[in-house]
Amino acid sequence: MGIKVVGVNHRTAPLDVRERFAHGAHEVPGALARVMAAGASGGVLLSTCNRTEFYLVADDEPALEAVWSLLGERLSASPAGGAREYGYIARDRDAVRHLYRVSSGLDSMILGESQIQGQVREAWEASRAQAGPVLHRLFQTALHVGSRVRTETGLGMGTASAASAGVAVAGKIFGDLAGRSALILGAGDMAELAATCLSDQGVQITLVANRTQERARAIAERLGGKAVSLEEAWPHFATTDIALCSTAAPHAVVTWERVGAVLGARRGRPLCILDLAVPRDVDPAIAQIENVFLYDVDDLQTVAAQATARRRDEIPAAERIVEEETDVFWAWYGGLGVVPTIKDLRQRMDDLRAVELERALRQLGHLSPDDRACVEQFSQALLNKFLHQPTVALKAAAEEGRGYGLLEALRRLFGMEPPA
Amino acid sequence: MIVTLHLVALAFYGLATAFVLAPFMGGRAAPRVLTIALPCAGAAFHVVAISQLTPVGLGPALSMLAFCLVLLQLASERLLRGSAVSFFAAPLATGLVGLALLSGLAPGAEAAARNVWFVLHVALSALGLALMALAFIAAALYLLQFRELKARRFGQVFQLFPPLERLDRLNRFALVLGFPALTLGVVLALGYGAQFSGGLHAAKAQLVWGIFTWVVLGWAVWVRVVRHWAGRRAALASIAGFGAVLLVYVALKLTQPGAERFL
Repeated sequence: MGIKVVGVNHRTAPLDVRERFAHGAHEVPGALARVMAAGASGGVLLSTCNRTEFYLVADDEPALEAVWSLLGERLSASPAGGAREYGYIARDRDAVRHLYRVSSGLDSMILGESQIQGQVREAWEASRAQAGPVLHRLFQTALHVGSRVRTETGLGMGTASAASAGVAVAGKIFGDLAGRSALILGAGDMAELAATCLSDQGVQITLVANRTQERARAIAERLGGKAVSLEEAWPHFATTDIALCSTAAPHAVVTWERVGAVLGARRGRPLCILDLAVPRDVDPAIAQIENVFLYDVDDLQTVAAQATARRRDEIPAAERIVEEETDVFWAWYGGLGVVPTIKDLRQRMDDLRAVELERALRQLGHLSPDDRACVEQFSQALLNKFLHQPTVALKAAAEEGRGYGLLEALRRLFGMEPPA
Repeated sequence: MIVTLHLVALAFYGLATAFVLAPFMGGRAAPRVLTIALPCAGAAFHVVAISQLTPVGLGPALSMLAFCLVLLQLASERLLRGSAVSFFAAPLATGLVGLALLSGLAPGAEAAARNVWFVLHVALSALGLALMALAFIAAALYLLQFRELKARRFGQVFQLFPPLERLDRLNRFALVLGFPALTLGVVLALGYGAQFSGGLHAAKAQLVWGIFTWVVLGWAVWVRVVRHWAGRRAALASIAGFGAVLLVYVALKLTQPGAERFL
């Protein structure tokens, strides 16, 4: 058993593939149950618009195979190698480092973006029942690493999120955004964040449309708009300047059938549609209308990525923190094997003692039973004396989070297999 | 002296052009103060040169057109808060000064040139044409930025060009001011001809092509102001207007080689 991460991200898979791999919160327990049934002892599923990653405590096979199979089923046209064509696997220390880099924003499309920290937390909480002690500790520390990187380095400085990129793009269409109107589809965190960014620029949030009204009402009240249902929002596409879409719908909600005729009534006035949802909310065909400017997450993240250039100088400092914390975790993780290793060592030594004692007693056949008992006691005491100091030192090292190195040395010196 | 002053102005305009185009050639964007100061310095020498010039013939006309263009470029820079207009205006003004020098510039004190009507005719015509050129530049910038935004490309054009709305406003402003200026320039020429030259001395081809240009430019203004065209359609209309000016210039050059009275 070891720590593994298997998945896809924005570097390895295009948006349309990532859309298919994305798991809603309600799908997480089922997906993890399936992987754990294949032999994993713990699992956390991190699914964002940029990545779908299974963090597992498992042997290589067949748990990893279960993940590829699970993801492969979501592809409509599967390449020769299945889902693994788009993915990657990191093991043990590399897996720990990977999660730390993810949570600190080093692995994000927008370098240093902070939203991933919340997404890591949500993934951990959604998978709590199946995570197990090792992954609990791993995710807990990952959040700590993310915080450290953001407070001790400048990796998070400036605004380089998809939401702020949306504001920049809208600004390139309308110039000054003050007084422009925007309608919001969806009432999740991303929708709220992006709506707040627009509102900060003086954009009037006129409507917040959502499947459930309560959350929409809360955002609408905060930003000065009106909460409506999705169906009520379509006619407003004729008048709004900006449409911000970030629903959790599994398919496009802004379709040609719903808004095509309405958009025709705009008489050439530009409409900026920011589609922050994965899967996308807006039918790409809408962009064919002349004065409709449609941008999805990939587009906005490309814009935001340009703002991250100055964050690059902070990468070495952030990587140092990640490496430092990876050492600490790995030492702790190594310490977990101390008890079984000590038991194993004692058993091996005792077996050797018993064999050698038997051989010695065969040669000392003249000894009385009392003398034989005395010799046996001597061998036992000697073994205990020999093992006392290494046992104490190993336990102390494990408590201090330095057990892994000593265990490795012990296993090599005594030819022991690593614990399962 | 006039030629020397033009050469100095040309050097400043050329330097400004090199600085504004540097980002498109892999260089770093020049400090904004340089992209403003260099055309200003060039314009200072240029205005002194123009004050000594007889506004008759192609060379002086091109020189005045270039000067008006530089002034509008500087005004637009302030309006747009960026150097995007310079991407087109700076090389155009530099080229026009170069052409003016090649066409020949000489001092003179012809009676006609000192007549207020005539000076106003040349000045307004040059200003009108410069405004039309500015409208064309704003329209071209608009179409380029529009294409980049539609294609979701976020490179140099996206970064350096102004927002669509601002370019649209600049295009409208330049068209709406430029057309009356040009029209007034033509009317002054007619008035001057009738008053001081005993009638209009223009070839039939010049009249026909001139009216054609005026109609096309007028149509571009009409669709903006009366039909409320905006955005891409309006940009295409003003490009058609400026295209008509260039077409007429080429047509006259071909049909009447050596004609000096294009403006």
